[in-house]
Amino acid sequence: MTASAAVPVLRVVDLSLRYLTRGGEVKAVQDVNFELAQGEALGLVGESGCGKTSVANCLMRLLPDNAQLVAGQVFLDGQDILPLSEDQIREYRWQRIAMVFQAAMNALDPVYKVGQQVVEAIEAHGVEPTLSLARERVAGLFRMVGLDPALMDRYPHEFSGGMRQRAVIAMALACDPRVIIADEPTTALDVIVQDRILRELKGIQQRLHMAIIYISHDIAVVAEVTDRIGVMYAGRLVEYGPTAAVFRAPLHPYTAALMGSFPSIAGEKRVLANLSGEPPNLIDPPSGCPFHPRCLHATDVCRQEIPPRVERGDQWADCWHPLEAAPALEPADNGGT
Amino acid sequence: MTGYLVRRAGQMVLTLFLIFTFAFFLVQAQPGDYASFYALDPDMPPEVKDQLRASFGLDKPLWEQYLIHLKNTVTGNFGVSFGHFPRPVMDVLIERVPRTAVLFLTATVLSFYIGFFLGKAIAWRRGGVLEYTATISGATLFTVFTPAFALMMIWIFSFRLGWLPVGKFLDPLVWRHAEVTANHVFGQMLLTAFLLTVFAFLALWILRKTGRVGLTRWAGPLIAVAAVVALLLLSLSGIGGLALDILKHMILPIATLTLISFAGTMLLTRNSMLETVREDYVMAARAKGLPEKLVRDRHAARNALLPVVTSLVYSLIFAIDGSVIIEGVFSWPGTGLTLLQAVRTEDLPLVMGAMVFIGLFSLLAHLIVDVLYVYLDPRIRYQ
Ligand SMILES: Nc1ncnc2c1ncn2[C@@H]1O[C@H](COP(=O)(O)OP(=O)(O)OP(=O)(O)O)[C@@H](O)[C@H]1O
Ligand code: SF4
Ligand SMILES: [Mg+2]
Repeated sequence: MTASAAVPVLRVVDLSLRYLTRGGEVKAVQDVNFELAQGEALGLVGESGCGKTSVANCLMRLLPDNAQLVAGQVFLDGQDILPLSEDQIREYRWQRIAMVFQAAMNALDPVYKVGQQVVEAIEAHGVEPTLSLARERVAGLFRMVGLDPALMDRYPHEFSGGMRQRAVIAMALACDPRVIIADEPTTALDVIVQDRILRELKGIQQRLHMAIIYISHDIAVVAEVTDRIGVMYAGRLVEYGPTAAVFRAPLHPYTAALMGSFPSIAGEKRVLANLSGEPPNLIDPPSGCPFHPRCLHATDVCRQEIPPRVERGDQWADCWHPLEAAPALEPADNGGT
Repeated sequence: MTGYLVRRAGQMVLTLFLIFTFAFFLVQAQPGDYASFYALDPDMPPEVKDQLRASFGLDKPLWEQYLIHLKNTVTGNFGVSFGHFPRPVMDVLIERVPRTAVLFLTATVLSFYIGFFLGKAIAWRRGGVLEYTATISGATLFTVFTPAFALMMIWIFSFRLGWLPVGKFLDPLVWRHAEVTANHVFGQMLLTAFLLTVFAFLALWILRKTGRVGLTRWAGPLIAVAAVVALLLLSLSGIGGLALDILKHMILPIATLTLISFAGTMLLTRNSMLETVREDYVMAARAKGLPEKLVRDRHAARNALLPVVTSLVYSLIFAIDGSVIIEGVFSWPGTGLTLLQAVRTEDLPLVMGAMVFIGLFSLLAHLIVDVLYVYLDPRIRYQ
């Protein structure tokens, strides 16, 4: 693990984004702050719809037409990319920051050969001077992600799910980016393939010394491959810290609930805390702490006031009643199966 | 693919047979026959009329006439036209079919390009002035009553502005001293156009094969130079003025046909494109840092093309009946006009010949579109 205090490759400051819809403004990202050093791996976790993909899209400034950046800065190598022109930002995309898409099935254009789609990225940035060198580079990338280079001249529909996922990873690596965002890189795959690809991706990331952001709703998966973890809820980063620390002792009840809703190694479902109900509607989020309607520890102050930030070492959370160092393990002991 | 093509050929023969049979009995269902056009002629004695009937074989029972026509069609010899007597049907058709084919292939290709180009532009930049004007005028032209619109075009460009001839294939004044026939000149024009197309495709293909991105940029200028050279050769060959005269007569019908049919492609492309721009691979293309133009053309529009090509079959059929009307209004002596006249005068052999040709043409066009589709969408394979 690299806990370097060097200049961060990526720094996100007070980021807020909303989507304008017919039903109102969807406050998809609110006051998100974090930074990422070279070679570091960050996990962004949270339930579906809590704004993880929206944050990722801000980092590349790939926003749908109805999205509106309310505030914030995204520094890539010290340059705020949000005010850049469309031409300027193209230089940043894929060369500095690349993405492994959430749906690898659909991220490949069905009418072009897979290799060609990787070559296209290399050509767009003039990374290699000739086509044959570009193709050689793609062959190397294919080997790196465990694909036979002969597959370059096949079409996406001839690939299995796992192969497509590998191809999309190869595509992300095409221009030696400094940061890679892997948005649910493996959810569509079966568990064994998922695990293998994740480990390989981790290996490649460490070898190439890239920074990486893993996005997932499965906190256990992310924990295996990251140095730091950020937990998102209702568009906000509610807890952030070194993965080991957060896992040992989460501060935020939501983090604990996320951890609890996954089976333990033994296979039995050890319920650390209940996570019932649905994430809130982001058009009209709850007052005070957005988690209060589902929180076992909620009190009146939670319902009325935005919670303060509490810190424990490198770890922090926004909560009125943060959990103690030994989290609510008791209910688990009682409530087997 | 070969198996598929063989099967398709079989289906085409069957379809042609059905078209043939249907057309034959439909014409027979009209009251009277070719000879009855002389029925009102008091100078013609009835026995001469009967003689005429007998010589055209119209006195034979229906099924026998049907079999004779069928045999003629299968052997590729459609017999002799009643109306153009004594010219064989084949002779009339060989003169007329290319005229229609040129008219309506040009219009189809033009309207497809214009429609596709506008469609992708208005889908890409929603809510602009372009979207507004293109959609309104396209939809208006698409739904307008074709003969009325054609007459309006003639009124504007021939009578008011005097830019273009009113109709017909050529201007007899220009051709008074011509030493060559119109068919010869037209044939040369077709040959030139054909060679140019082949050259353009070859040039593009070879430049692509070299694999150097920069080279394909030269395809446009190269083809333009070839076109200029071809036109120069054509005008130096001494028939330039005559070719120009035919060309002038082609402009108005082609423009009219194009204007009434581009909107279909445009609106379809727009809708299809509004779907593809939301696809992940378009977002991926943008994420890769491709210039917007490439994201639009290479990914969004390329995929939006697929359903549009499927619909090309229907627009071809639309163009066929459009061409009958257009040829009528512009007195363009093509297959459509020939068919119209032949049906009116019950010139049975010519009707059958024209029907078989039109049928064959649409079936071939259909087949070409289907084969093209395989080329455009790698997911499709015909077994
Ligand atoms: N283009 C859009 N227009 C309107 N609302 C949107 C748009 N994109 C996302 N949203 C909404 O914004 C919120 C955050 O979405 P986002 O995709 O960022 O969540 P996520 O955490 O990535 O979820 P998932 O795990 O399902 O991928 C959701 O409520 C979603 O419905
Ligand atoms: S602030 Fe209150 S409601 Fe929100 S997580 Fe903490 S305890 Fe629960
Ligand atoms: Mg997501």
